[in-house]
Amino acid sequence: MPDANQDGPSDQELLRRHVAGDSDAFGELFRRHRDRLWAVALRTVCDPDEAADALQDAMVSAFRRAADFRGESAVTTWLHRIVVNASLDRLRRRAARPALSAGDEQAFEALVAQDGDPARAADTRLDVDAALRILPPQQRAALVVVDMLGFSVADAAAILETSPGTVKSRCARARARLLPYVAHLQGNRSASESVSPAQGGDK
Amino acid sequence: MRGQMTHLDTDVLAEFRAGLITGRRGAQIAAHLAGCDQCTALDDRLAGVSALLASVPAPPMPDSVAQRLEVVLAAEVRRRNYPERAEVDRPGESVAHDRPAAKRGFRLATWRVLVPVGAAAVLLAGGGYGLSLLVGGPGSPPSFSVAAGSAAKSASSAVPSASSTAKAASPPEAAPLTPGASARRAMSPAYLRLRIVTSRTNFVSATLKQQLQNELNTPLGTTHAASSQTIGCVQAMAGNARLIRVMSARFEGRPATIIVARDSTGDMAWVVGPDCSAASHDVLDATSLP
Repeated sequence: MPDANQDGPSDQELLRRHVAGDSDAFGELFRRHRDRLWAVALRTVCDPDEAADALQDAMVSAFRRAADFRGESAVTTWLHRIVVNASLDRLRRRAARPALSAGDEQAFEALVAQDGDPARAADTRLDVDAALRILPPQQRAALVVVDMLGFSVADAAAILETSPGTVKSRCARARARLLPYVAHLQGNRSASESVSPAQGGDK
Repeated sequence: MRGQMTHLDTDVLAEFRAGLITGRRGAQIAAHLAGCDQCTALDDRLAGVSALLASVPAPPMPDSVAQRLEVVLAAEVRRRNYPERAEVDRPGESVAHDRPAAKRGFRLATWRVLVPVGAAAVLLAGGGYGLSLLVGGPGSPPSFSVAAGSAAKSASSAVPSASSTAKAASPPEAAPLTPGASARRAMSPAYLRLRIVTSRTNFVSATLKQQLQNELNTPLGTTHAASSQTIGCVQAMAGNARLIRVMSARFEGRPATIIVARDSTGDMAWVVGPDCSAASHDVLDATSLP
């Protein structure tokens, strides 16, 4: 999915030009994907400042290590992998500053507006983002990549540098854990919007 | 309850949906689901989690983050295009220079998180012709002119561009160092005479731009010689840009160095921490200036 709907040179071509010395190619490539890369960083680290730092680390890393890209995966997969790694690295380093731990429902209640009508997209997003914090980082990263960004399990495995089975397992546990916290949001969705088991995201 | 088994656990159902439970056990779960409204409802809610997550729009990158990344990217491009900058001034203390770039990895650009209580600095940079504004120009004596005499008075005269460039519109008044490879090589001795302006301002990220504009419109205070580490940092950050001012100040309450420079795309400022050197940028914040 990631390379669809783009004009101009392909991602791979831009990366090739960058490695060849083109001063503008990497910027074009990065800007092309920056919102999705921002989303994965923000939702993985759950903090805008940390996300900005992680994305910056990742961008510089990708800039400098572009020659290492061998084309085994799509350029976007490679970019997302670097961003996820930088994000998880940030989380490891700030271990002394915990987000919500699993089961910390009291803190969760404080984050989620309980009285509102979550029908509006912005409200829903806030609630979902808050709920994501209850997940362990590895589960959260898997769920963000698969369910929120729409990568296949195979691509997610490449991004997360693990096996497809582990991706499925992390996603399954994350969905089960998340369910009680987002059930109130589902009531605003029509039945037609729910997905069948075959569409459950793990193909 | 119907069927041969008790109701399904959420975790089990989630694993089943993910295709992790197959074979006989999977068949049992499927059969149970076919006859149990309660578990089917749970299964539907579980499916709804993925659907809900997929429906949440991705948050757009804030302009401030986009701008900051552009500044960093521009610095990376300059760094790559003019790698000799980082090599010209090697007094020998920086082992990191000799490590392959690939091994240094993105630690080079670790900015905010690893900043301990130390020194931060602000540095402003511009085209290759402008270094003389800080060091006195071609043919100037080895000592930096700002350093001579009473600091405040001579500083204001020796760095005439600091306030005028802050007004943003005035063109560069001189180009003693012409752009090009020879000019870049000439930078090194000039940088060795770099003076750091002491500022009492505590810069904060939220108002960095405005604070810098104010700062650049105030007379220079005392100055001191730059350490070789700081010189390396300034060279790495500003690259071929024209230095406008390098300040020792505070950022978010912690010591920092601020580098202000100008190139063809405009004025830029980087806030760097005490660990900034030719090999490690330690950037705390960055902004463009109007």
